[in-house]
Amino acid sequence: MDNIYNSVIEALVFASDDPITPVEIINAIKALDGLDIEITEEDIENTVDELNAKYDQNGNAFTILKIAHGYVHATKPDHAKYVGYLSSEKTKRRLSQAALETLAIIAYKQPLTKPELESIRGVNSDYTLNTLLEKNLITIQGRAETVGRPLLYITTDEFLKYFGLRAVSDLPKPREIEEIMKDEDFLEQKRRIMMSGIEEKAEEEEIQSEHEQNNELEPEEEIENENTTE
Amino acid sequence: MYKIRLHEFEGPLDLLLFFLRRDELDIYDIPISKITKEFMDYLHLIEKLDLEVAGDFILMAATLMQIKVKMLLPKEIDEKGEEIDPRADLVRALIEYKRYKEMSEEMSFMESGMRKYNYRGNFEEDAKQAPNDYEVLLKNITIYDLIKAFKNALLDRPAEPVHQIKKWNVSIDDQINYINSKLKDNNHVSFLELMIEMREKIRIVVTFIAMLEMVKAGTIGLRESINLNDFVIYGIANG
Repeated sequence: MDNIYNSVIEALVFASDDPITPVEIINAIKALDGLDIEITEEDIENTVDELNAKYDQNGNAFTILKIAHGYVHATKPDHAKYVGYLSSEKTKRRLSQAALETLAIIAYKQPLTKPELESIRGVNSDYTLNTLLEKNLITIQGRAETVGRPLLYITTDEFLKYFGLRAVSDLPKPREIEEIMKDEDFLEQKRRIMMSGIEEKAEEEEIQSEHEQNNELEPEEEIENENTTE
Repeated sequence: MYKIRLHEFEGPLDLLLFFLRRDELDIYDIPISKITKEFMDYLHLIEKLDLEVAGDFILMAATLMQIKVKMLLPKEIDEKGEEIDPRADLVRALIEYKRYKEMSEEMSFMESGMRKYNYRGNFEEDAKQAPNDYEVLLKNITIYDLIKAFKNALLDRPAEPVHQIKKWNVSIDDQINYINSKLKDNNHVSFLELMIEMREKIRIVVTFIAMLEMVKAGTIGLRESINLNDFVIYGIANG
C-alpha cells in the first residue's frame, strides 16, 4: 500500500460519524483510484496502529478506536472529565443491572427469544427489552420457527460500540460451571479492586464507597430499621 | 401505598444467590428448608412495605415449597437407577444465571472504561443543570429512608381544622311566621313540640329569639306546662 493512503485513511475515519469498516475504506479508495490499487484490510489495520502511535507521540488528545467492526476517532480517557461536562446527557446514563444482565445473555445466546431469556433470568423482562431496543443496543432479527413464532433478539453494532468491542466474539467467555464453583469470590474481589481503580476523581470515589457500603447492608437490618420506627 | 421496584435484587434467582453467598452455602447441597424460610421472610418484607410483589417471586416461593415437600418423600429414581435430587433443576438454573450475572459484571467494567472515550458530534443541546448519575442524586440514601420520611411526613401532619361557613337561610321573621303557622290550628303549642323538627342549633336559637320578640310584641303568651321542663305557647288574638 502506498503511504499517501495513510492520510486518506485518517481522513475517512475522521469524517465518519459511526465506526467505518475497512471494507468501506477500501471501496472508497478503489472507487476513486482504480480497482487495481493494492490495499488490504491488514494494511488499514497497520495504518491505524501507526496513526495511533503518532498521536501518542505528539500528545494528541484523541485516538482511533477499533470497535464495532471498524474504526472511529475518540478523545482519550484523560480528558473524560472535561469532555463529559459538555457531552450529551443521554450518553452519561449508565445501564442498570437488569439491562446488563439481559445484554450479557443476549450477547452470548443470540439470536434468542424472550421466553428463553426469561427462563434464564427467572424474571419478566418486557421493560428491560424495550429499554434496550430504545437505546438501539439490541434489535429484532426475525421470528423463531417454534410455537407462537416469538421474536428473536440480537445485539447491534451500537452494542459493540458501547462496550468497546470489535465483534461479539471479543466478549470474554462466560466461565464454565466448574470454574465458578472452584473460585466463588474471585469476581467479587475483582469488582472491588476495579471499582476503586476506575474512578479517578476523588469525589466520585467517595460516592462509590458510600454506595458500596449501602449495598452491603443486609435486608434484615433494613427490616429492623423499618420496624423500630413504627 | 408505595409502589416501588426493589433494585437490590433483579429477581428471585438473584435473591437466592445472595442468600447462598452470604451464608457461604454449598450450591450443590442447598438447605432447602433454611433457604425457603429466608425467601419467605423477604417476601413478607416486601408485602409489609406494600411493595409490588412480582409474580416471579411468588412462582419461586411455590417452587421452593414443592422441592421442600419432595425432599421429605422417598427419592424418585431415574432410568440409570440413581436417585433424582429434587433440587437439581433449581441448582442448574442458579448456576446458569450466575454465569451471566458474572458476565454482566465484566460488561459493567467495560462500560466504565468506554465511558471515558468520547466520540465526535457528542455535544447536543440539552439541559446541563440536572446531574443524572444515580449515585449523585441518591447520595447515601436508600429507598427505605425515602419511605420512612414520606410516611412520617404523612402521619405527623396535624389534621388541619376546617372552618366551613354555611349560610343558614333562617331569620327571625321566618321563625315568627313559623310559630304563627303552628298556632293556627290549635292556638297553643308546647315549646318542645315546636322545636322537635329542628336539627340545627342556629334554627332553635333563632326560633327562641323569634318567640321572645312575639311575647314582647304581645302577639303570644307563655304559660306553664304539665311537663315541668316545657312550657306552652298560646296565641293572643289581635294582640
